[in-house]
Amino acid sequence: MIAAELISYPQAIVLGLLQGVTELFPVSSLGHSVILPSLLGWNIHQNDQYFLTFLVATHLATAIVLLIFFWRDWVRILRGLGRSLRDRSIDPADSDAKLGWLLVVGTIPAGILGLALEHVLRKAFASPTSAAIFLTLNGVMLAGAELLRRRAPVTADEDDVRIARTVSWKGSALVGAAQALALIPGFSRSGAAMGGGLLVGLSHKDAARFAFLLATPIIGAAALLKLPELLGSAGNGVRGQALAGALASALTAWFSVRFLMRFFETRTLTPFAVYCFVAGLACTIYFVS
Amino acid sequence: MLPPVRNDRFLTILALVVGILLIVVAVVYWALPADDLPSFFPGHQAGSDHHHVKHGIAAFLLGAACLVFAWFRTGPKRTTTTA
Repeated sequence: MIAAELISYPQAIVLGLLQGVTELFPVSSLGHSVILPSLLGWNIHQNDQYFLTFLVATHLATAIVLLIFFWRDWVRILRGLGRSLRDRSIDPADSDAKLGWLLVVGTIPAGILGLALEHVLRKAFASPTSAAIFLTLNGVMLAGAELLRRRAPVTADEDDVRIARTVSWKGSALVGAAQALALIPGFSRSGAAMGGGLLVGLSHKDAARFAFLLATPIIGAAALLKLPELLGSAGNGVRGQALAGALASALTAWFSVRFLMRFFETRTLTPFAVYCFVAGLACTIYFVS
Repeated sequence: MLPPVRNDRFLTILALVVGILLIVVAVVYWALPADDLPSFFPGHQAGSDHHHVKHGIAAFLLGAACLVFAWFRTGPKRTTTTA
């Protein structure tokens, strides 16, 4: 099959490993999946149907890993949502319910913007040069979020209680909408969400946690929406590679989320801002010259 | 200007009506090809048999959000549910 000739198993595994890391690190998975094949001279293009189908599997794997990692939290949150629907009000003391609705409020604008703009933006900015330029700008965005961030209050509350108390409905909608930036290859979804979280007053750790919780329904729904393509004729010849890529992606996504949750207890977005700026600039110069 | 209580009720009814309408629109998007959609619907295209699934999902999400908003507005603690 044509797809099997275009994406080999080693390439699928490398791209899967890369996807698992870059989806959760604030460095743009889409940008890296455009830039890396171009740097390595692989004949893989962002808008090719088989590659989009391949990405469905790796995204689904990442979403499943996030769901498993935060499984207990999701059970609590869903119970909270159920309680609030039953009572037709959100009890201020029920942080699970508040967090659940914050996630709903954040997911709706991201979902609608994604549905409306995904195809247009992906087509418009699919070149490695534009991805490199936007990766540079992603670095600027992360650095800007660090500079402009509000000082997070220090409390002894649990993580979710702190998030529920700090983030307003409007703040959650803005953080959710900011994720739509990631429709442009080079901008990072988790970076935009974490940066937004810092701007609304969350600590780095809480911003990362909120970003990962926000990511799960968005990544999962986007992948499920396109799953029929993988299972249908568009997936012919690429399913084996997609499975290999998905397993590789799941592996690195698991270690990435574990690493990042510890990393952001004490560290900031600055190292990622520097990486994106330097790597993006270097790639821009390389592609242009 | 309407008194606050009537205004509150008006918002709830509006959210309910808009929510139901949007869910009907979502079903229409899922059920009919682009050719058969009413001409004022975004995505209507003569001669196309494409189903605008994404338009339907967007309409459904917005409709569900309106219904949830209306549900909470009729609850006992209204002030805690508003942004």
